[in-house]
Amino acid sequence: MYTARLVAVVSTDTAESGTNIEGEGPVVEETVESDEATAVGDTELERTLGLTGGLAIGIGTMIGAGIFVFPGLAAGEAGPAAAASFAIGAVVALLVALPASELATAMPKSGGGYYFISRGLGTLAGAVVGLSLWFGLVFATAFYLVGFGYYAVDTAAQLGFALGESLVVPIAVVFGVGFTVLNATGTENAAKLQNGVVALLLSILGVFLVYGSLDAVGLIGPASVPEQFSPFGTVPIFTTAALVFTSYLGFAQIATVAGEMKRPGRNLPLAMVGSVVVVGVLYVLTIFVATSAFGSERLSALGETAMVAVGRHYLGTAGALAIVFGGLLATMSSANASILSTSRAIYAVSRDAILPRWASRINLRYGTPHVALGLAGGPILVLVATGQVEILAEVASFLHLILYGLMCVALIALRRDEPEWYDPDFRVPGYPVVPILGALASFALIGFMQRASQVIGLAVMLASAGWYFYYARDVNLRGKL
Amino acid sequence: MTRVLVPLAVLEGESVPPGLIELLGTADVTALGYHELPEQTPPDQARLQYGDRATAALEDVTAEFREAGGAADHRLVFTHDRDQTLRRVAAEAGVDAYAIAGATGPVERLLVSLNGEVAVEAVLDFVVEVVGGRDIDLTLLLATDDEVTGGGDGGPGEEPGRTAAGDRTTLDDAAERLREAGLTVETELAAGTDPFDALVDAATGHDAVVMGERAPSLRSFLFGGEADRVATETVGPVLVVRREDDGADAES
Repeated sequence: MYTARLVAVVSTDTAESGTNIEGEGPVVEETVESDEATAVGDTELERTLGLTGGLAIGIGTMIGAGIFVFPGLAAGEAGPAAAASFAIGAVVALLVALPASELATAMPKSGGGYYFISRGLGTLAGAVVGLSLWFGLVFATAFYLVGFGYYAVDTAAQLGFALGESLVVPIAVVFGVGFTVLNATGTENAAKLQNGVVALLLSILGVFLVYGSLDAVGLIGPASVPEQFSPFGTVPIFTTAALVFTSYLGFAQIATVAGEMKRPGRNLPLAMVGSVVVVGVLYVLTIFVATSAFGSERLSALGETAMVAVGRHYLGTAGALAIVFGGLLATMSSANASILSTSRAIYAVSRDAILPRWASRINLRYGTPHVALGLAGGPILVLVATGQVEILAEVASFLHLILYGLMCVALIALRRDEPEWYDPDFRVPGYPVVPILGALASFALIGFMQRASQVIGLAVMLASAGWYFYYARDVNLRGKL
Repeated sequence: MTRVLVPLAVLEGESVPPGLIELLGTADVTALGYHELPEQTPPDQARLQYGDRATAALEDVTAEFREAGGAADHRLVFTHDRDQTLRRVAAEAGVDAYAIAGATGPVERLLVSLNGEVAVEAVLDFVVEVVGGRDIDLTLLLATDDEVTGGGDGGPGEEPGRTAAGDRTTLDDAAERLREAGLTVETELAAGTDPFDALVDAATGHDAVVMGERAPSLRSFLFGGEADRVATETVGPVLVVRREDDGADAES
């Protein structure tokens, strides 16, 4: 057995990594990880992100969609049972977050899910996932931006300017351009700002949800009239879960900064699992509070910014303003965090020669990855222009769910025949049940999506596979750390 | 032998003035090349693009330090947070002091500041080692804004609540120690002024400043704050003598 293992190691070491059609090969170098830095040859890469920073990325990315955009849409489809849809989403996300945590502690590198899959399952799966992740994040960002557009229009309405919904898309486009340009030219440290924004959002929501819950159960004011829990039956609970799953995409974004996390063995699992648990609880409470305030029909009619009316119902004008302000902040922070993740996703595939090397070039003046940011921002604007909230959200979820399902598969593949280098600090409890369930649940959720979303998602995956066969079929990444 | 860390923003063209290289000829040197990146950029991405260029520049600097006398090595770090990197590398390399390069010609006059709750012994030991019998004039400065010193940081300061008379004694004792080691020393006691301003004023006419690192509880002072401000104000190099690190608390 020992001999067999030795042979395996030798063969991975000597096997060529191959090159793409431009003759570029993946950058594969020996690295030594410590809690505070990664050493690549003589050079060190500082790990600067703490647990708070990781949680802020996860929560900051997720909270905008689940709380401020979806409640109206979800209640319209599933009634008060939308709370169950969010709970299902949280369970699926947790089933994936645990295996993702194990993989991230075994391979604490930037690139996240793409990295695990390309190393665990090979280049084809890696390329499909890596490129799909790029587009998945693009769809997600577009979705957040459109959500932001609704809040911007609503803010103006609260302040007495009726702009009308026709301005939602133009506003979203303008801010999409703004975020891209700011990220390409800004050297301000926005991480601290992000932490502050998340802390502020959590406090606004805390007050609102505690007050709303007390009111809803009748401790303050009259108890609300109970509505039938699932007025539309059980199937909408699942289709709604598929729709709102976009609210849980942020935890995998934490994996894209795995290479910059301090003490990755401890902080990565805590940040990923912790952020899912926090937002999951908040989402379920939000739906409960929202559906207690209004019937689901009314919520549905209120649409993307239904929460503003809910805020007004419980806390008057102050409540409405707090929610409008929170919604602006939350959708902005989601959009911005996703643009940054997109740029990292592009860098990860470009480093592995699946995209041209120039895609990860850095601008010397600002030190920012302007090409990757442009490759993120451009498609985002096109998608924002469609203004299709539900399709954008579902395609984003579709592409992420593929990634999540394959991450679970990659974990199982790695565990079945553990390579020498595989030494995670965190191991999934309940192996192999958790990753198997995670994979099944991820793929199953896709089945509940609208046909249009499924078709677009599949098309993106096929295009990614086509690109792989055209551009990078000779690149070999399996087991290349 | 004394080891000094010299951090350099290599890719921004920061270099070491000849006077500092000469001054540190009596010490071992670790040249720390760093490049601070905005958070949009993964450090590894920058390394791929600039790693070779930065290493080449660092190797040149290291060779110059070696020629000046002491042993020299170099490290290169890509980071989002310069201060965190300096702290980590300073602790890992076990250096006694770090230098902010600045600009200067040959160092003939050195200002040694004992302001604040610094480890006076460590500062004096360092000065003796670095001067190493060369013909460099020293000015010892102790400035206090009031009769009671200390930034209210509650750290385990050596002398909580010094008095003016106590300051005089501290200063004279320190000068005496340096003279015993064969150095030429003047003393300057400034009371009732802002210690920072007093230090900057006194730095005029000196080629470099030696100061002690503040209590670790004031983290901003450690690398980011005071020493950097002194370096900016005085233009010349600043050498900061590290405290003994008791209990490395790297985690935040």
